[in-house]
Amino acid sequence: MSSRLLCLSLLLCNAIMTPLVKAADGKVLHLGLAGEPATLDPHRYNLRIEEAVLGDLFLGLTTFSADGKLMPGAALKWDVSEDGLTWTFYLDPKGRWSDGKAVTAKDFVYSFRRLINPETAASLAYFMYPLRNAEAIANGQLKVDELGVRAVDDLALELTLALPYPHLPERLLYPTAYPVPAHVIDKVGDAWVKPQNWVSNGAYLLRDWKPQQHLELARNPHFEPKPAALQVFHYPAANTQNAWNRFRAGTLDAIAAFPANELATIRTERAAELHLAPQLSMIYLVFNTRKAPFSDPRVREALAIVVEPATLTDKVMKSGDIPVGSFVPPMVADYTHPALSHAGQPLGDRQRRARALLTSAGFGPANPLELTLRYATGTDAKRANLATAAFWQQIGVRVELHQSELKVHYADLRQGNFDVAQAGWLGESNPEHYLGLLHSRAGDTNYGAFADQAVDALIDDARRQKDIAARHRLLAEAETAAMKHYPVMPLFALTSRRLVRAELRGWHDNPRDAHPARFLVR
Amino acid sequence: MILRRLSVLAVTFLAIVTLIFGLLRLAPGGPFDGERALPPEIEANLRAAYHLDEPVPRQYLRWLGNLLEGDLGPSFSQKDFSVNDLIAEGLPVSLTIGVLALIIALFIGVIAGTTAARHPGGMIDGLIMSVVSLGLAIPGIIAAPVAVLVFAILLQWLPASGIGSPAHYIMPCVTAALPYAAAIARLVRGAVAESLLEPHVLTARSKGLPELRILWRHVMPLAALPVVSYLGPLAAGLLTGTVVVETVFDLPGIGRYFVQAALNRDYTLVMGVAVVYAGMILIFNFLADLTYRVLDPRIRALA
Amino acid sequence: MSRRLKQICCGSAVAMAASVLLLCIVLLTLTSTSVSGFNAEDVDWESLETPPDDRHWFGTDLVGRDLFTRIAEGGRLSLSIALLATGISVLIGVPYGAIAGYIGGRTDQLMMRLVDTLYALPFVLVVILIVVVVGRNTWALFAGLGAVYWLDIARIVRGQTLRIRNANFILAARALGATTPWIVFRHILPNVAGPALVYATLTVPGIILAESFLSFLGLGVQEPDASWGVLIADGTTTMESAPWTLLFPATFLAITVWSLNLLGDRLRDAYDPARVRA
Repeated sequence: MSSRLLCLSLLLCNAIMTPLVKAADGKVLHLGLAGEPATLDPHRYNLRIEEAVLGDLFLGLTTFSADGKLMPGAALKWDVSEDGLTWTFYLDPKGRWSDGKAVTAKDFVYSFRRLINPETAASLAYFMYPLRNAEAIANGQLKVDELGVRAVDDLALELTLALPYPHLPERLLYPTAYPVPAHVIDKVGDAWVKPQNWVSNGAYLLRDWKPQQHLELARNPHFEPKPAALQVFHYPAANTQNAWNRFRAGTLDAIAAFPANELATIRTERAAELHLAPQLSMIYLVFNTRKAPFSDPRVREALAIVVEPATLTDKVMKSGDIPVGSFVPPMVADYTHPALSHAGQPLGDRQRRARALLTSAGFGPANPLELTLRYATGTDAKRANLATAAFWQQIGVRVELHQSELKVHYADLRQGNFDVAQAGWLGESNPEHYLGLLHSRAGDTNYGAFADQAVDALIDDARRQKDIAARHRLLAEAETAAMKHYPVMPLFALTSRRLVRAELRGWHDNPRDAHPARFLVR
Repeated sequence: MILRRLSVLAVTFLAIVTLIFGLLRLAPGGPFDGERALPPEIEANLRAAYHLDEPVPRQYLRWLGNLLEGDLGPSFSQKDFSVNDLIAEGLPVSLTIGVLALIIALFIGVIAGTTAARHPGGMIDGLIMSVVSLGLAIPGIIAAPVAVLVFAILLQWLPASGIGSPAHYIMPCVTAALPYAAAIARLVRGAVAESLLEPHVLTARSKGLPELRILWRHVMPLAALPVVSYLGPLAAGLLTGTVVVETVFDLPGIGRYFVQAALNRDYTLVMGVAVVYAGMILIFNFLADLTYRVLDPRIRALA
Repeated sequence: MSRRLKQICCGSAVAMAASVLLLCIVLLTLTSTSVSGFNAEDVDWESLETPPDDRHWFGTDLVGRDLFTRIAEGGRLSLSIALLATGISVLIGVPYGAIAGYIGGRTDQLMMRLVDTLYALPFVLVVILIVVVVGRNTWALFAGLGAVYWLDIARIVRGQTLRIRNANFILAARALGATTPWIVFRHILPNVAGPALVYATLTVPGIILAESFLSFLGLGVQEPDASWGVLIADGTTTMESAPWTLLFPATFLAITVWSLNLLGDRLRDAYDPARVRA
């Protein structure tokens, strides 16, 4: 009996001691990830989660500063030609791979070609389609050598574009533009991502990856300036509850998400650790314009104008998300967001108008409009969509809800297999990234297949401008023209909800949710 | 004799994995449905790289061939790892939990059942059997979250999730074991009660042998029989249980992979886990069968 | 017959308790809305995630739906699925076992070999795959569960058939020239139906647990329908801030399964004289 007691007390001591030991070691960071990365090959990545880890492992031409702004990375400066089509990037001569070799322009040429090469099967290759011939190469129509990238010399890289694109430096922030070590890939092929072969040019390198447990990053000996933390552990969380449990147990320094229903408690008890940061994103309802009666703009308008984004965010979800009044999120700067036509009207008036619109479209109490509202699984999503359905039920519409897991949901959207659906888009800080979704040739991401010639013309025209102010002016006109037909109903922008220990310095909230580990100090 | 049984085993195994392969391919959706459609060239390349462009029977034969060489293929969802890698990482955790839960279930079940059977109809019997029937009614999906609520959150005695110390294994193994401890207790009680009435036990008692010796040498071997024949379903049940336990306690085992991979249409990973599960259960059943034959002299006499 | 039934349901204090509880729960599932005044889909925006009070007897869940009504509706769905799946398993298992047992010989061997093979399959694997293939709707659930649970019934029925296949009345029927199908359906089935149904009632709680398990993993009943498994899964995510969302459905599930197990055991003991009751 006494030996059992001893065992039990030893176990308990072990359980208590472990978090204490971890917390004391300031040279090691323990960060929680929202999920498990599917791959650490920057050209094959697909998920936001992977961006966080890849940002620690690699350094692109441009990179995020500690407060999420764009700053020079592997390239110290760059300039643009008169016609806006040729960009020259001047690389940092001190840039090194983690095995000591110098990072040269040739590495970047190799990397961009690898990204666009259809054999790599990179699902986000389209991020670099602004490069000349990129789209044709990805479709197999041209050879990879025709890509608009050229090494002028060892430290100067020239990128040639098809159309002027003043936002190019921002586009280069994504892992798709990261350099990969040609000298390693040539030797070991796809096994280059394994820890024993790993070579990268960022602040950290990959020491070990135990799936479902952790990713272990160690300091890159050749990276300057040296980051404070020697090691960084990223822990994928199976769900928000587990992340929350671990944070409370003291084993994690920061977590990427916690259960939405804990927000109220956390606001009062852990205000110093709570970080709510509005994100460049857009959650919206999309109407399938291919399918009657949603091809009728009156029906779409009726459904759109009775939904109250502010009620959804403040009363229903209470998650800190931000209601919006236009399709381009409010954090996008230097842009006059045109308001929706029904903005400012009281709910009663809007409901009356909605009923009138539905009647003129042929629906009424005897013939109610029936629709299925689809959304991707998630607690907040459930609440928000139940509320949206309630809004519509108030004007006599019969709503059925259909939820599916994320992949299936978006597969259905791409195939046009829906009536009305809630969709989301994480974006850059320029309006084109959102309005492009409404272009008739946008492809599958224009889930509702909205097509309007005037809108297309305005967007095409904007894309030909090299001056940002001119682009934004035309895009604002495009947004106004498009939203008159209510192809989508913008709801809210997401707020990232993170918990970060007060002792962790260097953490700055920003709309891209970028928190490179090399700036974090305990 | 044994060879024949082994060949039956092999055929069963083949039938099982074929069935699972077929079912999975019938499922709608594929592994590459993402948020954005892939350009046709790229999608074609992806499919070719994973041999998804071949006719299904050919894919099946290819997969089977690799299986015989011990290669379970690449994972579609965890692109940097092969299925062998993932299972190698996760299997030790799942096995530890399964084996510990098995031991706990047997330990508790045998002791409870024997104690109850020694005084059939008495108060102890009634008490134990009531607890047992409660245990049967409380599945892992209830026991696990409630255990977390009570022991990890309210009392803060044990960690709520993850692995890393022996303390992390207590709640998962116990909650997984409970329903089976109850089932075993019932079986043992019935068997022990029956065999306590057997003539040879009465003889041993009248000879004045100590009670414990009687239990151990005369009653146990016979009482063990129904437990051994239950071992097969027990193993299968514990596997079921680990899926829930791994989900609730955030344990990096292969049970979690199974559900996630099925939802993500990661064919090779599902097949890999299914193969491991089916293999383990079949081997377990086989061993249980052998043990049964060894223990029961009547069957040996027949053979 | 009814005396036996009475003995089973009310013979001991525990049995009485189980019967009463079960009856209450079944009544609850049939009458929920009229009692509580809420629908299962009604969202009460004023009381999101509130503890039990006089309007919401069991409190509300995190979307504002009355938990009492949801548990009642959930019970209805869980029990219906269990009954239907049991029905399917009986429909498949009884004829299968009877035919195998009566015909005997190689056919019997083959049929039972198939049963043994399927028995070795880890149930969770197969059902999850069936659900994934057919899509996540409740009909797939019945089909999947019924398809797995018929094995036990087939075995029992085969055993019973073996016992009576050489009985006098069967031999007489054969002598009179009755064909095999006729014998199986007119003579065997009615005589094995009793024990078969008894074992069928024992599968009901098993299927309730199986369905809860699947729904907990997200593969069973879908929104906005609820079964107890779904309610327990939802309750697990909010068990800290709203423990009633977990405890109430869990208690209902446990009590139902427990009473069904208890009464089913007593039923089996009453009908199967071969079992020793110590």
